Amino acid sequence: MGRPIVGRMARPTLRRTTAAVIALAVTMLAACTAGSTAQQYPGGEGREVTIAVAAEPVNLDFTTTSGAAIPQLLMNNVYETLVKIDQDGKVVPMLATRWDVSADRTQYTFHLRQGVTFSDGRPFTADDVVASFDRVRTAWVNAIKGKMDVVERTEKVDAHTVLVTLSRPSNSWLYNLGTSVGAIFPAKIDFDLKTQAVGTGPYVVTSVRPGDRIVLTGRNDWWGGPAPLRTVTVRYLTDPTAAVNALRAGDVDMLFNSATGDQVRQLQKDPRLQVVEGTSTGEVLLSFNNRVPPFDDVRVRRAFAYAIDRKAVMDTASAGFGTLVAAMVTPQDPFYEDLTGVFPFDPARARALLKEAGQQHLHVTFDVPNLAYATTAAELIVSQLADVGVTATITTDEFPAVWLDKVFTRHDFQMSVIQHSEAHDLLTVFHRDYYLGYDDSKIAPLAAAADAGTSEQYVAGMKQVVRMIVDDAGGIVLYLAPTLIVADKGLDGIQANAVTESMDLTALRWASTSSGG
Amino acid sequence: MTSLGAAPPSDAAAVEPQRRPGVHPQLVVGAVLVGLVVAMALVSLVWTPFDPVRAVPAIRLQGPSATHWFGTDRLGRDVLSQVMAGSRITLYVGVVAVGISAVVGVPVGIVAGMRGGVPGAVLMRGADVLLAFPGLLLALILGAAFGTGTTTAMVALGIGAIPAFARVARSATLQVMRTDYVLAARAANRSAWAIAWRHVLPNIAGIVVVQCSVTYGLAVLAEAALSFLGLGTAPPTPSWGRMLQDSQQFLGVHDNLALAPGIAIAVAVLGFNLLGDGLRDVLDPRLKGVR
Amino acid sequence: MKRQVGWLAGQLVATLALASALVFVVLRVLPGDSAVVALGVNATPQALAQWRAQHGTDRPLIAQYGSWMGGLLRGDFGTSFVTGRALTPLILDRVQVTLIIVGLGMLLALVVAVPLGTLAAVTHRSAWGTVIAGASQVGVAIPNFLVGVLLVSLVAVHLGWLPAGGWTPPATNPADFWRHVILPSVALGTVQAAIITRYVRSAVLEVMREDFLRTARAAGRTRAGALVRHGLRNAGVPVVTVVGVQLAAMLIGAVVVERVFVVPGLGSLLVDAVQQRDLQAVQSIVVVLVALVVVINFVVDLLYTVLDPRLRVVAR
Repeated sequence: MGRPIVGRMARPTLRRTTAAVIALAVTMLAACTAGSTAQQYPGGEGREVTIAVAAEPVNLDFTTTSGAAIPQLLMNNVYETLVKIDQDGKVVPMLATRWDVSADRTQYTFHLRQGVTFSDGRPFTADDVVASFDRVRTAWVNAIKGKMDVVERTEKVDAHTVLVTLSRPSNSWLYNLGTSVGAIFPAKIDFDLKTQAVGTGPYVVTSVRPGDRIVLTGRNDWWGGPAPLRTVTVRYLTDPTAAVNALRAGDVDMLFNSATGDQVRQLQKDPRLQVVEGTSTGEVLLSFNNRVPPFDDVRVRRAFAYAIDRKAVMDTASAGFGTLVAAMVTPQDPFYEDLTGVFPFDPARARALLKEAGQQHLHVTFDVPNLAYATTAAELIVSQLADVGVTATITTDEFPAVWLDKVFTRHDFQMSVIQHSEAHDLLTVFHRDYYLGYDDSKIAPLAAAADAGTSEQYVAGMKQVVRMIVDDAGGIVLYLAPTLIVADKGLDGIQANAVTESMDLTALRWASTSSGG
Repeated sequence: MTSLGAAPPSDAAAVEPQRRPGVHPQLVVGAVLVGLVVAMALVSLVWTPFDPVRAVPAIRLQGPSATHWFGTDRLGRDVLSQVMAGSRITLYVGVVAVGISAVVGVPVGIVAGMRGGVPGAVLMRGADVLLAFPGLLLALILGAAFGTGTTTAMVALGIGAIPAFARVARSATLQVMRTDYVLAARAANRSAWAIAWRHVLPNIAGIVVVQCSVTYGLAVLAEAALSFLGLGTAPPTPSWGRMLQDSQQFLGVHDNLALAPGIAIAVAVLGFNLLGDGLRDVLDPRLKGVR
Repeated sequence: MKRQVGWLAGQLVATLALASALVFVVLRVLPGDSAVVALGVNATPQALAQWRAQHGTDRPLIAQYGSWMGGLLRGDFGTSFVTGRALTPLILDRVQVTLIIVGLGMLLALVVAVPLGTLAAVTHRSAWGTVIAGASQVGVAIPNFLVGVLLVSLVAVHLGWLPAGGWTPPATNPADFWRHVILPSVALGTVQAAIITRYVRSAVLEVMREDFLRTARAAGRTRAGALVRHGLRNAGVPVVTVVGVQLAAMLIGAVVVERVFVVPGLGSLLVDAVQQRDLQAVQSIVVVLVALVVVINFVVDLLYTVLDPRLRVVAR
């Protein structure tokens, strides 16, 4: 390409250039005209939707690759689970139509839905469930596999009945079954999980263009009826402005968490668009390295909790969208309670605590991943900390590589800020081996006892655990990030509450076609 | 964009500058613009209207007003104060980058020009290998290896500009070496050092200064591009490139956020470019056309 | 002439070899473990060890460099550490995209700059010349991403004439391809046009002072006729130089415009690969970029000798 251009242009003559100008102008004009006719607003026409999402999956295999982007795309839409977590956080039937629990709460008998097929035509039977659950133990290398550790064995009773025996009662297991760890694969995996996905859901992955898009095609033979859309194109637009521009220009129909809060505020004024705010499981956490000074001192951690105006952080980093919570517990969780009053914004108390700890002129380093919300929150936090005499120096770490290596793996940090998206990750994050290095010796036995107890004991026990964690201020939850969806008004069936890691598209449809079909 | 409108110089005089004595318009306008940026940086050391890094969320995203001439940004920081403080990073990056490339590139060029032969060829081939790594690419690689930030950006941009300095210095040296006084000096068996110091350096100083000014403009642009990509100066230190990046999401709603740093960048680059052009015409009529 | 081409080609190969070794050495000090990035935060230690063995990152550096170079010589860039996909088709795909927007941007720039610069030179004493010269000065000073952002805002969002971003390969849908390619090319080309206009202007001014033009005019040719017949070819040398330098800079400089318009080019791929510490991808992309730059410089050097035989002497 470079060679002919350089060659031709080396001896430019006026005549030749004039011809080139005219030729280019004509092509451009033609292209513009072609553009304006194709530019019609999609409206209720067709059965195709394009969605802009920020984080792209590196491959399609969440059994060996962690990260939220893969299950976000595939769960519910391509892979399904025995039970589903509905929009209110309740456990409801999916591939299992019902289940019986033994009196000692260690045996679950699942009655499977009949007439279900995988996207390659194979029928779904008990064998697939047994193989999928066994594979978690044998083939998965993703640490979330630990959520199935409680399973002692999985047995086929008949073609459509499965018996799962747990080693001890667990309140969280059935819920976890509705997340990616409970995904049902074909019993025999004769395809590359990294590049292909064969599930029982309404959509199939038909095309992957790295760095650009993944195309899902609707199945006509889904057990729930024909998929409401023929194609769903998921475009990966890391830059929020690019995503918003694509929406405004009609290139995409829906933004799934791909615009900033401030942009969504602007888009709310557009009469052609609808803005839906849902909940999420993503807590934005100001994390301390509890192993090293000054954050091995609880007084310093509490001082920081008083020094930071979390409302202002949420107003700034996500334009006020989101929910103020004090712990890594969402309002959907049964053991949720409002603990935001434990550490009110109180710079005077912060200063007093710092003085008590002998840290009036504290310098800390602040490792911030290069993500928009994190940078914004960090800049504000630095400013607020300055008001109580703390100097925080920001180091920008590229996400994921540098942040993962430095902060997450090598624990070479004092303070950081990042969103933890996984559902029910309270005990993962506040575990002694996790990057925060939180001393969990007091809470771990309480949490284990709660999980094995009755559901009342579970709620009471977990509430106690949460209160202890908040009081210890091992990390400060700044706010619970919203799920912000901006979509064409004609779109129906938007499921905005991201209760699990899944972006549930199973009900999405154009309003006019939904009435017909 | 009024400050830009004032900038285009009437440069009719630039065509045959060596024949026209007196004040050079490009030089003057360039010097004034650069002086403006330098003055802004100096003033910002002792005074800005508001603390450029103090966030006041209550007054975020306000339009221009009597209190905040260019409004406030998404954290409620005063935009004018940030632009003023941002000039420091811009100038700093430029000084270090240009310094690195001149200090390394000019000697390489002089040696290559004076010696020729194998050592000269080796030096210039070395510079040519570097030429294959444009500054932005170097900044990406070095940023990946050593972490991103102001220092990496400056060093990468500096290294990236070495070949240009070497080439300019070499071709200017070649010309100087053919002049009568150098031939005389060589006939008188003066040492290479003495010739380089007494004759070559003073005679190529003009074109080197010109190259400095041009490179400075490029460094300002490159720093802005790096910060725009999130690979430049770390927050909260104000930087024009990052201000532009931050402003992107507010385009069409809060244009002041993009306009202020955009104009600042354009003024600085325009200033250095005009200064370079003017200096070329004034300092070095004889070597004109060497490039 | 033949000797000269051989000499230049030898330099090209030597430069590439040196550059690839440099890149390899520098990248090995990268912080970040590709295995952790590839497998994610929840990967088990066994999985990490298995990954390193599988991708050979636990072998001695010399061995790694050797197998990488071996692959390069066969035209095989290896497998991405992160996605597990073959890099060769991906890189070729992205190179094509970048070359298209850079090529079109440069074409556009030349189409604008050559006549404009010539006009500015010819009319340098009149208001026209001053306006063009001034405008090009200002154009040079504006960052290309600012131009890009403004174009998106105006043409795509407000007027809705063209898409705000994205990419369609020319083979898939030519009309759609043109709709997507225009704005990025214009954003790249505008600033280049300003830069080249200045060079064309000064080159033509230079030529206008030379004797042969005066002779040609004395021989009865019109001013414009003399310029077109004799002047432009002589003005070509500095213009070819700047086009070469700018093309080389644009290949990577396009990354900013690629980001603004969400164009899947080579630069964006590189930035992504750097962020994911996909070493295999980073080093291969850098080598491709460097090779392109070196080839451009090579072509420029060749053109010198074609355009102006006098330079052969100077080059020695």
